[in-house]
Amino acid sequence: MNTWWFLVIVVSVTFIGGGMIWAMAKINRLQIQKDHSTDIDSTTRTDIERIFNDEFRSELKNRGRLHFEKIIGENAMFLQQDLRLTTSQLNDYMKQEITAKLQEEFAKYEQSIMDAKQLAIDSINKTNAAVEEQRKSLSTELQKEIANEKSRILKEFEKNTTAIINHYLLEAIGDQIDLNDQLEYILSSIETNKQAIIEDIQGGS
Amino acid sequence: MGPKKEKTVLNLPMQVISPADVSRLSRELESLEDFMEQSAIRTKGVGLKLPASSKLLDELAASNSFNFLHIQDRKLAKEFLGTLTKTAPVIHLSFASDPSAAFLSKLVSRLRDIIHPQLLVRTGLEPSIAAGCILRTNNRQFDFSLRTTLYAKSDLLMKALKLNSEGQT
Repeated sequence: MNTWWFLVIVVSVTFIGGGMIWAMAKINRLQIQKDHSTDIDSTTRTDIERIFNDEFRSELKNRGRLHFEKIIGENAMFLQQDLRLTTSQLNDYMKQEITAKLQEEFAKYEQSIMDAKQLAIDSINKTNAAVEEQRKSLSTELQKEIANEKSRILKEFEKNTTAIINHYLLEAIGDQIDLNDQLEYILSSIETNKQAIIEDIQGGS
Repeated sequence: MGPKKEKTVLNLPMQVISPADVSRLSRELESLEDFMEQSAIRTKGVGLKLPASSKLLDELAASNSFNFLHIQDRKLAKEFLGTLTKTAPVIHLSFASDPSAAFLSKLVSRLRDIIHPQLLVRTGLEPSIAAGCILRTNNRQFDFSLRTTLYAKSDLLMKALKLNSEGQT
């Protein structure tokens, strides 16, 4: 048992040691490659600075600016044209849309006005019919009332007329008729009512 | 002329018209009776003067052949007047003007023929009736006035007025 443990430990130590050695060698190789690439970069940068010096850069800047300005000018012109065209189209479109919308709204408005007008006419017609009916009814009632009032006034007039004439006659001839002239009239009246008088006298109070 | 022994139905003079006349006669007869009683107890040979009798009393005596010096006749007359006061039918007549005595006498005479022989009449004034009369009994009123006749015949007047107005138009 101890042997096996010993062997395992020895193998483990061996592997660990081998791994550490391999890792150190690898790190060393990477360090060498890094130093070599640093040298290339430095050389490249130096060359670039030599080719693309300040004068060249200034020239490139000027050319680029001019080209950029040219492109911007062309694009601005195109943009302006497009903008004008778009504006014109937009105007036409807006005009058409607004006209159509206005026409639609005007048509609706006109229809509403026509409906309201028709309603008003119907209402006025109904009112006229009702007023006419009321007028006829009132006229009939008034005629009836007038006829009644006329009849009443006529009767009252006749009554008053006879009363006035009778009163006048009584006042005019009342004291002109001698009692002796009335004797026969009085006696004939009593004779006519003789039976009723006798019955009342015999009946007593 | 001796006193009447049997006097069942006596005549009422036409001048006796109203219950007031009957009362007046009764009072007068009573006075006469008092006088006669007083004269009976007075000394004989003293002159007596009878009280003056009214025309009504004279008429009563004349129409029934009474001699009021006889006590029997006075008694009969008194009983007659008492009966009249109690039982005689009375009517009331209203005229437009005050009737004269002659008119009343004629009227009462006819009424006693028509209605009752002992009828008594009270009279009154009703100027608004113009002519005719209003007769009232105990329970009823009979209007024979011109006023009522005119009002009752107002229709005739109106017809006449209408005919006249139509003729003019």
